[in-house]
Amino acid sequence: MSTVIDKAPTVFAPVETGRRPAAAVLALARFEARELLVQIPVFFFLLVYVGTTAWKLFSPREDMNNYPILHDVDRATQPGTLLLAVAAFICVNVAALRSRRHGTDRHFDVLVLEPWRRTVAHALSVVPLAAVTALGAAIEFGWAALKPGAVGHGSVAELATGPLVVLLSGVLGVLIARLCPRLAGGPLVVVVGFATLMVVSSVVGQTHWLTWLHPVVSETSNNPIPSDLLGRPAAWHALYLVGLSAVLLCVAALVSGGRTRLLKAITVVALGAMVTGIAGQSPGDDAALITARTKASSTPAAFQSCVAHGRSTYCSFPEWTGWRDDWEKVVDRIQDLAGGGAGGAPLTIRQRIPVVHQLEGDAAIEPLHTPGEVTAGTRWGGNRVPEFAVGVASVLVAGDEQAVSKMCDARVVTVMWLAMAAQDDPMTAFRHVRLDDSLSGSAVALAPTNPVGMSAEQTRIVRALLGRPLYGVTARVKAHWTELTSPRTSEARVAELLGVPAAKNGTGAGESCQK
Amino acid sequence: MTTAPTVSASGLTLRYGGTAALDDVSLRLREGITGLIGPNGAGKTTLLRVLATAVPADRGAFAVLGHDPGTTAGRQEARRRLGYLPQNPGFHLDFTAFSFVDYVAILKELTDRAARHREVRRVLEAVDLSDVRGKRIKRLSGGMRQRVALAAALLGDPGLLLLDEPTVGLDPEQRMRFRELIAQAGESRTVLLSTHQTEDVAMLCHRVIVMVRGRIHFEGTPAELTARAAGRVWSSAERDPGARAGWRTGLGTFRNVGDPPRGAALLEPTLEDGYLLVLDGEPAEVASL
Repeated sequence: MSTVIDKAPTVFAPVETGRRPAAAVLALARFEARELLVQIPVFFFLLVYVGTTAWKLFSPREDMNNYPILHDVDRATQPGTLLLAVAAFICVNVAALRSRRHGTDRHFDVLVLEPWRRTVAHALSVVPLAAVTALGAAIEFGWAALKPGAVGHGSVAELATGPLVVLLSGVLGVLIARLCPRLAGGPLVVVVGFATLMVVSSVVGQTHWLTWLHPVVSETSNNPIPSDLLGRPAAWHALYLVGLSAVLLCVAALVSGGRTRLLKAITVVALGAMVTGIAGQSPGDDAALITARTKASSTPAAFQSCVAHGRSTYCSFPEWTGWRDDWEKVVDRIQDLAGGGAGGAPLTIRQRIPVVHQLEGDAAIEPLHTPGEVTAGTRWGGNRVPEFAVGVASVLVAGDEQAVSKMCDARVVTVMWLAMAAQDDPMTAFRHVRLDDSLSGSAVALAPTNPVGMSAEQTRIVRALLGRPLYGVTARVKAHWTELTSPRTSEARVAELLGVPAAKNGTGAGESCQK
Repeated sequence: MTTAPTVSASGLTLRYGGTAALDDVSLRLREGITGLIGPNGAGKTTLLRVLATAVPADRGAFAVLGHDPGTTAGRQEARRRLGYLPQNPGFHLDFTAFSFVDYVAILKELTDRAARHREVRRVLEAVDLSDVRGKRIKRLSGGMRQRVALAAALLGDPGLLLLDEPTVGLDPEQRMRFRELIAQAGESRTVLLSTHQTEDVAMLCHRVIVMVRGRIHFEGTPAELTARAAGRVWSSAERDPGARAGWRTGLGTFRNVGDPPRGAALLEPTLEDGYLLVLDGEPAEVASL
């Protein structure tokens, strides 16, 4: 069927279509994108995403948001985008099956735009949703970066991961629609894929290279470390996601009948990008990075700069220098409340990180044994402020952080009153610094290193003191400083010295240092 | 009318298993409306699908406005120049009439947004759907949906319009309205209208093709097809046993088609009478191409 029988008649001149298939692909992608954005799952998940992002931005959650660590904030934008990725997958899959479901495919197949180009348009229709995701991530990051307490450095590759995952999910939805043109195909492939991943993970174990094949590797920790010690292959991972998305798109186009040289060339390039990305992200932490992390944990001074303010010296990793003033305010307020030599004692505030074997998890920081040295963590704001205050007060009372674990009787009362009285809202801070958020009974009060154990009686005394005018208690503390910081002063005696009535029903007999 | 045909086909053959859906079909279509009639399974839809480039023929060749659909480039050029309304067209029911036609316009590579929207409004106005263009298709009647499909086929002002039973399932009023639209569409282009309705052919078509079992049994004007029954339709009180077809009319008498007995009361033949006689084993007589 290849012979042309007649010459073209001259009577009819059809409307000029432009004959620009690329322009038609983009026009169709725009059309599909508009449809996608009004689909209920996308709309719903978009609302949830915007809602959760807004909540993260505006919630008064412990005020820790006012001191964001930007190289943690960047990857914290990723998990929320998974919702949009799921919505993109479902809706793009359904959209790519629309013609088949409604029986228009046989008709549309005789239209000018070839099926493989329509497949490409379906994949490109996810781009605006990915752009919205990128905008959300940018706003979340930008909002954090603009805060006066922000420290650290964000990564474009980390910020790009969320949008790329949305793009990848959409492309996967298109590919599955082409390979398995049934509505049940998408969910089925997801379930099978997830099960396969689980089986492979259980057989191979959670190795670095396997972990990084996942679209999102968030690795959250309560103890951030300097950005140059993170060692996350974020750029390689972004390249892997771009390559994988492009490979899936090319496969979908090839399955739909695309056979152009350009498509084949893009397939090869995409495959190369994906393999390069995998190769780049797979090796894991090298020896130099592990050594650097260990040194930063064991000998942080080598990595830090220090500045003397007033009576004390403040040392921090380079990215955290902006917080020194906040530490100083807390130290000064506590020392103003302290008596004896503690009020003028020179302290060294040393920022420290735990020994990091992997980024995820919450490792503890070992207490310092150098007299007058206080540990500051890599988080600030909210509960971290009274925790730091407990650390400062403990060193002022006990001498060094190692001694905190042995504190008892009067010392605990003195430390906790000093730390909490220096807060803007002492009673709330007291409640929150205790592990169980209580204001009565025994509990553990948190500090950057060793926590402080409090008996019920100590809690009662401190709570009573915090309810009184500051100037009155301060005068008593300063007057009896020596006795209040002595390990031989009992709880009963400290209550008496500070003017707190004895406990009813004999509950005033707390644990003494002798016990 | 022009002398050069819009569609030239020669020896088109397409088999499904052992059945010849098209059997050496040759035809030429020129400007105006050509009716394509025949019994079920005659190959009408297959012929339209082949001409619409939906399926390739096993053998034979054809050209649409001078473009050979046998080549990729030729097929694309042919597709740019034809409008196709399939039998039982599907619709994206959640789309509005406007967005559905707009979607088809994109698939026809009408890429300039403003120009495309103008064209969509034009075709919707042409099929008298401007007032409901914002309505979802699932809320439109069957007749309106058919008009949406026709509007989609008219996009880009195609030189060749292939309509596969567009009036099936429509009520008389809707069918009249559709005839009007097809007549308008046929004023400046070539229309191939596949239908079971001989009335449609009689009222609309300049030419008529009768297909039986994949072959063309008649090609000519409606008048020529009607003339095939001249002197072969008569009236009688009872059904004439010699008639090839006969039925009681509203007047109570029988209308017979076939070979009339001597002295029979002859009636004016219709196109349907001619069609019946062509179907009834008449030797194939194809008008010269």
